[in-house]
Amino acid sequence: MYLENLTLHNFRNYADLDVTFDRGVNVLLGQNAQGKTNLLEAIYVLALTRSHRTANDRELIRWQHQTALLKGRLHRATGSVPLELTLGKRGKRAKVNHLEQAKLSQYVGQLNVIVFAPEDLSIVKGAPSIRRRFMDMEFGQMSPKYLYNLSQYRAILKQRNLYLRQLSRHQVKDKVYLGVLSDQLAAFGAEIIHKRLELLGQLEQWAQGVHSEITQQQEQLTFHYVTQVPTEDQTSVDHLYETLQKLYAQQEAKEIFQGTTLIGPHRDDLQFSVNGKNVQTFGSQGQQRTTALSVKLAEIDLMKAETGEYPVLLLDDVLSELDADRQTHLLTAIQDKVQTFLTTPSLDGVARQLINAPKVFNVNHGILHEEEPH
Amino acid sequence: MQYPEPIAKLIDSYMKLPGIGGKTATRLAFYTIDMDGDDVTEFAKALIAAKRDLHFCSICGNITENDPCDICRDKSRDQSTVLVVEEAKDVMAMEKIKEYNGLYHVLHGVLSPIDGKGPEDINIASLLKRLQQNDGIHEVIIATNATPEGEATAMYISRLVKPAGIKVTRLAHGLSVGSDIQYADEMTLFKAVEGRQEM
Ligand SMILES: Nc1ncnc2c1ncn2[C@@H]1O[C@H](COP(=O)(O)OP(=O)(O)OP(=O)(O)O)[C@@H](O)[C@H]1O
Ligand SMILES: [Mg+2]
Ligand SMILES: [Zn+2]
Repeated sequence: MYLENLTLHNFRNYADLDVTFDRGVNVLLGQNAQGKTNLLEAIYVLALTRSHRTANDRELIRWQHQTALLKGRLHRATGSVPLELTLGKRGKRAKVNHLEQAKLSQYVGQLNVIVFAPEDLSIVKGAPSIRRRFMDMEFGQMSPKYLYNLSQYRAILKQRNLYLRQLSRHQVKDKVYLGVLSDQLAAFGAEIIHKRLELLGQLEQWAQGVHSEITQQQEQLTFHYVTQVPTEDQTSVDHLYETLQKLYAQQEAKEIFQGTTLIGPHRDDLQFSVNGKNVQTFGSQGQQRTTALSVKLAEIDLMKAETGEYPVLLLDDVLSELDADRQTHLLTAIQDKVQTFLTTPSLDGVARQLINAPKVFNVNHGILHEEEPH
Repeated sequence: MQYPEPIAKLIDSYMKLPGIGGKTATRLAFYTIDMDGDDVTEFAKALIAAKRDLHFCSICGNITENDPCDICRDKSRDQSTVLVVEEAKDVMAMEKIKEYNGLYHVLHGVLSPIDGKGPEDINIASLLKRLQQNDGIHEVIIATNATPEGEATAMYISRLVKPAGIKVTRLAHGLSVGSDIQYADEMTLFKAVEGRQEM
């Protein structure tokens, strides 16, 4: 799939933007603070209805304005569809093909995007929450059911945590209700863990291929899903559900004492190993970078396998973070397959040579100028 | 410039209604001033009467002019089933489809600690009392909404009631996930009644 064009109105520092993109590589050149990342963010928001940089939608609306409007025409194998998202002070509205979508979960999944920014290099060595967010963002785009289960799980988790806190302070005492919340959480938690295991298994296979190629067959990358729930290769949803129920029953006293939920997918993690050694603890910086790159490139292939189309790739300032070798891998992997948006202060070296006829835009205070093709 | 006091008070009153912010309240207030005097009087009377003449039924919790309500007093209705709903307006929605002929119980909310509603804060104790004092009730149908909180409330009631040997069913089939029964169309509600499942 690719984004044919984009119209922005009062989004970040873009008052009015109307731009047509190339289906290959689009380069956004510019000094600091001109709006390069803002433009990638706009595409991300158009896809997922929320930003990868902030949880506060108001920050996305241009200062001193009330609403932001994002529109784009999405090209897919099955035809092209207009997408439209309005962000207001009170909420957001999403339209597909001019029809308003009652639920945002029906909207998400139309346009699939993958971002790769310097922060993503921390997917390997950063906090577990970064890896959970990574799984949720990617898998949510591939499976509306995953997104639904996740939102139900989060809603129940909030209620249960508050109720546990009330129990710990002896403000309430009804354990029947706690049991109900535990069962509900176990039901959605089991679905989430099951889907994560399934998709991680596939992602691992793709990532292994990429990683092995980048390291000239020197390194083997493996994934391990870290959870308190004992799992095997073919664990069923029912089995996970029962196991979670048992764990909640066993840990009840402890959870009440601490006033919070200690078990479930919101506590799980993902571990990467190279040749059997945990990259997070033992990997060199180069190995961590290669791992992050392999995982990102694998996502592209997994998304294609799951949805039938390549996603749109957003590369924010990553070229400068990668050496010539890794840049070459990245750029040859996407060439002629994946519509890519790439921000950089300047385009030179390997990138300039490798990218076939890119469409280059100069970004200057929220205004885009297309550079003449060389 | 400040609004004269009567209008400021009226704006303030409108803002107490759900979903109405300052702008809309101001528009409504100025509209009210332009309305016909008699219409305004009618409006004010209706507000006061609604609050003064309506009570909650001491048996089922429905809003009513008389206590017990007309439904609870109607002996021709099936006295062996009780349909549990979140709000009084859900009773109206069910009555409109004329498919259900049993009794009701209105919870006035669902279990939701975030909204300050625990088991003691909604009308569950009175439901249990009703079942204990009346062994002619054989089936409890739970029609809470298909939200996580609606589901939790259904499961909670089921756990308390089932051990007493009373059949508990759930209106689920046909209701779209995450939806409110007051917005469901009649056909959907009809299917939901037919496809209820034992819990
Ligand atoms: N809501 C907003 N309204 C108006 N302007 C905004 C808003 N949010 C951010 N900006 C402006 O956008 C600028 C940042 O733009 P952006 O992050 O896209 O920079 P960039 O071109 O990616 O720069 P760098 O190369 O440093 O990453 C900020 O300096 C700020 O002035
Ligand atoms: Mg930037
Ligand atoms: Zn009554």
